[in-house]
Amino acid sequence: MTRVLVPLAILEGESVSTGLTALLGPMDVTVLGYHVLPEQTPPDQARMQYEDRATAALTDLATEFRTAGEGADHRLVFTHDREQTVDRVAEETAAGAYAITGATGPVDRLLVALTGDVAVERICSFVTELVGGRGIGVTLFLATDDEAGGRELLEAAGAALSGRGIDVRTELAANEPPFEALIEAATDHDAIVMGERAPSLRSLVFGEEAERVAAGSVGPVLVVRNVEESDGAEANADRLPPSNATADRPATDDS
Amino acid sequence: MDGPSSSAGGTNVEGEAPQIEPTIETDDATITDDAELERTLGLSGGLAIGIGTMIGAGIFVFPGLAAGRAGPAAAASFAIGAVVALLVALPASELATAMPKSGGGYYFISRGLGTLAGAVVGLSLWFGLVFATAFYLVGFGYYAVDTLAELGLAVGGGLVIPLALLFGAGFTVLNVTGTENAAKLQNGIVALLLSILVCFLAYGGLDAAGLVGEPMAPEQFAPLGTMPILTTAALVFTSYLGFAQVATVAGEMKEPGRNLPLAMVGSVLVVGVLYVLTIFVATSAFGSEQLSRFGETAMVEVGRHYLGAVGAFAIVFGGLLATMSSANASVLSTSRAIYAVSKDALLPRQASRINLRYGTPHVALGMAGGPILVLTATGRVELLAEVASFLHLIMYGLICVALLALRRDEPEWYDPDFRVPGYPVVPVLGAIASFALIGFMQLASQLVGVGIMIATAGWYAYYARDVTLKGAL
Repeated sequence: MTRVLVPLAILEGESVSTGLTALLGPMDVTVLGYHVLPEQTPPDQARMQYEDRATAALTDLATEFRTAGEGADHRLVFTHDREQTVDRVAEETAAGAYAITGATGPVDRLLVALTGDVAVERICSFVTELVGGRGIGVTLFLATDDEAGGRELLEAAGAALSGRGIDVRTELAANEPPFEALIEAATDHDAIVMGERAPSLRSLVFGEEAERVAAGSVGPVLVVRNVEESDGAEANADRLPPSNATADRPATDDS
Repeated sequence: MDGPSSSAGGTNVEGEAPQIEPTIETDDATITDDAELERTLGLSGGLAIGIGTMIGAGIFVFPGLAAGRAGPAAAASFAIGAVVALLVALPASELATAMPKSGGGYYFISRGLGTLAGAVVGLSLWFGLVFATAFYLVGFGYYAVDTLAELGLAVGGGLVIPLALLFGAGFTVLNVTGTENAAKLQNGIVALLLSILVCFLAYGGLDAAGLVGEPMAPEQFAPLGTMPILTTAALVFTSYLGFAQVATVAGEMKEPGRNLPLAMVGSVLVVGVLYVLTIFVATSAFGSEQLSRFGETAMVEVGRHYLGAVGAFAIVFGGLLATMSSANASVLSTSRAIYAVSKDALLPRQASRINLRYGTPHVALGMAGGPILVLTATGRVELLAEVASFLHLIMYGLICVALLALRRDEPEWYDPDFRVPGYPVVPVLGAIASFALIGFMQLASQLVGVGIMIATAGWYAYYARDVTLKGAL
């Protein structure tokens, strides 16, 4: 079962919409409650004061996820650096994706973005697992300047998904600004699935792409992690034992 | 030892017990029962804290004072300081890798030697940092006045203390309201300072060696004898307090087993070499007598001597940044020291409260900022520096003793990643050197230092006599 990490600024009252809780039903979920501290405050000092309150909130959230479906656990981290914490915990739990929470009602249709240099096959198998026989429709979206190649890729991916019994549409944005086209396409969808991309100069300047998509579309965004880069049992050997979710991660590919 | 790691106990007069929980330390996080504490400081961050704290005082405030006391041999005083600092930095590194926790020296001593020594050191560390910060701020005041003078605003020495107070208050407020990205700024400041100094020293060094510029009549190396070299070493030891500040953030450092020793020993080495070279260059430029007449900002005149107005400006600017970064780093360490002590019930728990709005430890920052301002107002540069050195030297000596005690009957939990080379010679020498250096201080500084230690011991006897910390990880 693929594990999805749900990072939440737990002490700032960030919570998960019922729509997202239900959507993640078939997945293993780790709720990552984090609290970012200014550098003049040692993390342990914050823990002394806030641990009980944060743990109570996290336990409630994990219970909600468990009620909605598969197993859910939680972790609580006090940190100076949110990115570093999310990356580390994602690696330790061998999470296949992480969620940026957003507001949504029941999810009827997912927008799946295949734009850019992302692992299309892994995104598709993640989506298959996520939909899991429920009647959730999927729109495959691709923004590219290469119209013919794009159509080909969309059709191949679409065929793979519909072969697994999913209602698939495709949407190609040729010669349009990719980000704006994605946000526009998101308006009649309830959640977005996209692939993690290597940090670029653009992401340094404007913030991580997934965060901007989440902000632009208001709804939740699921980011399928780029496992090849951050994977590595060897690298994890001296850390915590990874939790039970490692076994049946979807096969990796290199598309 | 008192036995396994559960030996902490007892309560203070308010009925609070030390909060000690079993933790697992990994390279990236500290894992407690229910929560994880992310380690976010890298090696460069650790070096920036160490170098950034040290580089301000020594290079920019002391050359004039030290040259006046010891002549060109002031360079030897700085070298002695570096050797003592190194002898302590090595044992401190071993202890820090065995106990990578907030609190630094206080933590090692309270666990290695027990609550009384811990309380005295922990509370003295707070005061030591307060004295050091006040000293940095007064230095800052001198540089601020000189900056105004370079800009054509001669305001006179009367403004030194008011400016220092203004900035001291500013730092405290800034720290309470949260300094976003101050660490990155600190890294930048340290890099900038190092480049200014390296350029300056390269040119000045060539000149001093007689390769460029006009030759100068060589001065006798130690015109005042050997005793002033030692008393000056005691005075300028304040310049080497920074490596201990690295230990206070040990709980937040990534790969502590590797990064803590590198940051502590590395920063002492870098700074020690720079200090010795700087004094050599400064005394070669002017001769020690004239240098001492320039006082706290003698380096500005040295800069002017070698590189004209540009040199003077570079040094004034560098001095301003350096004293600022020292003061800021020390304020942060002070609040961590107070937190460590209050967590162990040696101070009211209230002292480690975090404020909801900014997430900063406002009580501890206030307990640092208030006394700092009072001391800054005295403007007594040498006394402030020596008392700061005194209180730190006590801690350094006890760190070495704690290492010896822990190594003698290594408790089960004691498993450092880094072990002192040359044990037991290094810690023994470190302890002797630290305590001996205190003997060369002015009587007034020694009296203030001893007074503070007696007061802290008295506080322990009144407030936390029943608390036991020895061996409690």
